[in-house]
Amino acid sequence: MQKTLTRIHDFKLPTAILGACLLGDQNEMVAACMDGIYRVELATKAHRRVAEHESYVSSAVYLPESRVFVTGGYDGKLKWFSAQDNALIREQKVHSFWSWDLAASADGRWLASVTGQYLAGDYKYAPAKETEPSVKILDASDGRVVYSLPHTPSVQSVVFSHDSQWVAAGNLMGQVRVWEVASGVEVGGFETKDFTSWGIIKSHCYLGGIFAMEFTPGNQELIVCGMGDMRDPMAGNGKQLWQRWNWKESKLVSQTLDKQSGEGLMEALCMHPAHESFVMGGRLRGGDWNGALFDLASGERIGTIKSGYRITEFLFNERGELIVVGGQGQPGKNDQGKFSDFGRVEVYEIKS
Amino acid sequence: MVRREDCGSPEHQAHRRLFLQGSMAAGVASVASFNGLFSIPTLAQETKKRGKKCILLWLCGAPSQFETWDPKPGTITGGPFGSIATSLPGIRISSLMPRCATIMDKLGVIRSMSTEPSEHFQGIDVLTRGEAPRPPFTRPILGSVVAERLGQLDSPVPQFVLLDPCPEGNEFKSFKAGNWAGWLGAEYGPVRSGGEYAIADILRPESIDGVDHEDREALRSFLSRKYQNDQRSQAAAGYNAAFDRVRGLMSCAPLFDLDTLPVADRERYGPGAFAQHALQARHLIENGSTFVMVANGMPWDNHVFQHEMHQMLVPEMDNVLFQLVTDLEQRGMLEDTLVIAMGEFGRTPWLNEARGRDHYSKAWSMAMAGGGIRGGVVVGGTDPMGFEVTDNAIDNRRLFATIFKALGIDAKEQYDLPDLPTFHRVEGNVQPIEELLIG
Repeated sequence: MQKTLTRIHDFKLPTAILGACLLGDQNEMVAACMDGIYRVELATKAHRRVAEHESYVSSAVYLPESRVFVTGGYDGKLKWFSAQDNALIREQKVHSFWSWDLAASADGRWLASVTGQYLAGDYKYAPAKETEPSVKILDASDGRVVYSLPHTPSVQSVVFSHDSQWVAAGNLMGQVRVWEVASGVEVGGFETKDFTSWGIIKSHCYLGGIFAMEFTPGNQELIVCGMGDMRDPMAGNGKQLWQRWNWKESKLVSQTLDKQSGEGLMEALCMHPAHESFVMGGRLRGGDWNGALFDLASGERIGTIKSGYRITEFLFNERGELIVVGGQGQPGKNDQGKFSDFGRVEVYEIKS
Repeated sequence: MVRREDCGSPEHQAHRRLFLQGSMAAGVASVASFNGLFSIPTLAQETKKRGKKCILLWLCGAPSQFETWDPKPGTITGGPFGSIATSLPGIRISSLMPRCATIMDKLGVIRSMSTEPSEHFQGIDVLTRGEAPRPPFTRPILGSVVAERLGQLDSPVPQFVLLDPCPEGNEFKSFKAGNWAGWLGAEYGPVRSGGEYAIADILRPESIDGVDHEDREALRSFLSRKYQNDQRSQAAAGYNAAFDRVRGLMSCAPLFDLDTLPVADRERYGPGAFAQHALQARHLIENGSTFVMVANGMPWDNHVFQHEMHQMLVPEMDNVLFQLVTDLEQRGMLEDTLVIAMGEFGRTPWLNEARGRDHYSKAWSMAMAGGGIRGGVVVGGTDPMGFEVTDNAIDNRRLFATIFKALGIDAKEQYDLPDLPTFHRVEGNVQPIEELLIG
C-alpha cells in the first residue's frame, strides 16, 4: 500500500548533520554535525551546540536505560554525555583514524565503532591492509574495549542485530563481516561488488562501498545501501541501491527493483518499528526522489521524499508515525563572507 | 631574441602520428642494449651531468589546498583533517602530509595561486603551457619546451616522457604529438608509457637476428634520407627523426620496465601506480631524460567523496614527493632537478552535497623543490576561510616565469610565426617570484 510522506517541520542547523539519534521523549534529537554536537527540539526547532569533537562528529546513539548519549567523531574518539545536562561523562580514543560509524545494541549493553583509512595497497589501488583493528566492540557502561576485530579498510558502517546477538560491519569494497557479540567470533558475512566503483575512466582507484546497514526482523538477513557502480567515479551517478542478503549463506535475496531507483549515493537506512518497511535516503543525482519508503516483504517503493538536499540520517519515532530526516544542503558564501546555515532537519508524517 | 618559422606545416600531421600513445613502430634495428650503451663510464657520466631536468608530478583533476599545503583547521571550510607543524617554524600543513612536513626547508610552496580557468580543459592548458590558447597555433607544453631547450634530441633516451597509465583519465587521451609540442614540432612531444600504455614492440623480434636487423635499418635509412634530401621533404625528415627515436627507445627498453627497479625502492615509494611511476621518473632522469611528467588519470577531481579520496591520494603524494626530493638530494641531483607538484587549480572551500569539493581557481596551492628553487619558502597566503588570496597573488604567467628562470630558460624569448602577432615564451611583462629563486 502506498504511503504519503508529508513534511510537517523543516529548519536548518549551522552545519551538515552526519548522524543523529532521538532521545527518550522522541521530541528531541542529538545531531552529530560537522562543527559539533547539537541538541535539537523538533517541535520548537530550538537548537543549541552542546559539545564538540576535534573534527567532524560522525554519529550519535542513545542508551535509554542509562539516559546517556554517545557520539563518535573523525578524531577517533567516542564521548559519553548525560542526556539530562549534557555533561561529559567519558571520553575515549578508540581509533587512530576516524570513527566512521557508531552503533548501540538494542539492549544498551554494547557499542560498536568502525574505522579505517583507505590507503593504496597495490598498483591498481586496492586498499592496503588495516594498520589497526577496524572494528571495536565496547562495553557501553564503562567504555571498556571488549573485542578488537579485523576487517579491510575503510569500514564505513556498523549495525547490531535487533536481539543484540550479532554485529555487522561493511566496508569500501562491499565486504560485510558478521560477528557474535558475546564471543567476538566471526560467524558469517558476504561480499557484494555492486556498491564499489573502480574508475575505468579518470581515476584508477576505488570508491563507494556500503554506507548503512540494517538487520531484518529475525536477524537472518541484512539490508545494505550505497551507490551502484560508476564508470566515472567522480560523476556520482551510480544507481540508488539497496540489497538484501542472507548473511549466513552469503546469498543475495533481493535488491532495488527495476525502474524504482534514480542516481545518487544512498547513505541513510532505517527499519520501521513495525518491521514492515524500511526507509533509504541520500543524494539525488538523477531521478525524482532521494528518500524512499520500501515495503519490506516485496521491496516495492511505497513512498518517496524529494528533499532537495543530501539526506544523511533517517530516524523513526517509536510509534512509527514520523520520519525525522537529517541532512546537508549546499553551502554557499553569503555577502558577509560566512556560510549560510546548511544543516537540514525535516520531519515527515507517514499516512496511508 | 630567437625567431623561428619552422612550424605549422601540414606535413607534421604525418610524423605526429608516430608518437601517439607510445605506439612506436616495430621492426627497426637496435644497436645496443641500454645497459650496454651506458657501460662506458664517461658516456654515462656525461649523460647524467647534462644541464637541468624536471619532474612534474601532475596532480590532474586538481587537489584540495585545504588537505595539502594550506589547511584551515577548526574552520568550517577546513574539512575533517587537522594540521601539523613542519620543519619550518610557524608553518603548518595538512596532517595527511607528515613526510613533507619534515622537508619543508627543501620545498618552495605557493599558497596564493590565483588563476582564471575553472574547468579542466582550460585549466590544464594554462597550467601545463603557461598561457591560454591562441588559435590556430598551439603553445608547447612545459615538457616540450624543456626538452627542446635543455634536452639532447640525439640522445637514445627519450627527453620528454609522460608516465600515465590511465587511458581515459584526462584530456591527454586525445592529444596528438602536435597538441603537446605545438609549434616546436612533433619531435618534442612525449613518449607515453605506464600501465596500459606500456610501449609495445620495443624489443627486436627473435625471428630477426641482429645483423639482419642492422641491414634492414641501414637500407631504410639510406632510402628515406635520400628521399628526404631529394624531395626536401619535412615529412621524411620527421619520419627519420621518429625512427631514430624508436632506435633509441629500443636501446633503453629496461628504463621502461618497472620490474627492473630495486624492490626496496619500489616499496619505499609505495605500491600505487602514481608512486611507482614517480620512482620510474627518477630513474629516467638519472639516466638521461630531461623532463618526465607523472600523472595518473584525473584522480583528484573529487566532486564526490572528497575526504574519502583525499585520505588516500594525499598520503601517497606526500610520500612520493618526500622520496623524490630525498633521493635526488642523496644522489647529488636535486640542485639540477626541478620537482613540481601541482594540478590545474584548487577546490572549493565548501563541500557540495555529494561529499565533494568542486573546482576553485581563485585561491589554491602548489609546491616545488630543487632545480634552482629556494627551499623553506612559503609564498603568499589566503584569508582564514581560504576564500581569497590576501597576499601576493600568483598567476600562471608568474609561475611559468619562475619555473623557466629556475631552469635557466629565457622566459622572454619571442616566436614569430607567419601572419600572427609575436608569441613570447611567457606573455606579458611579468616578473618571476624572486623569493623562490636561488641566486
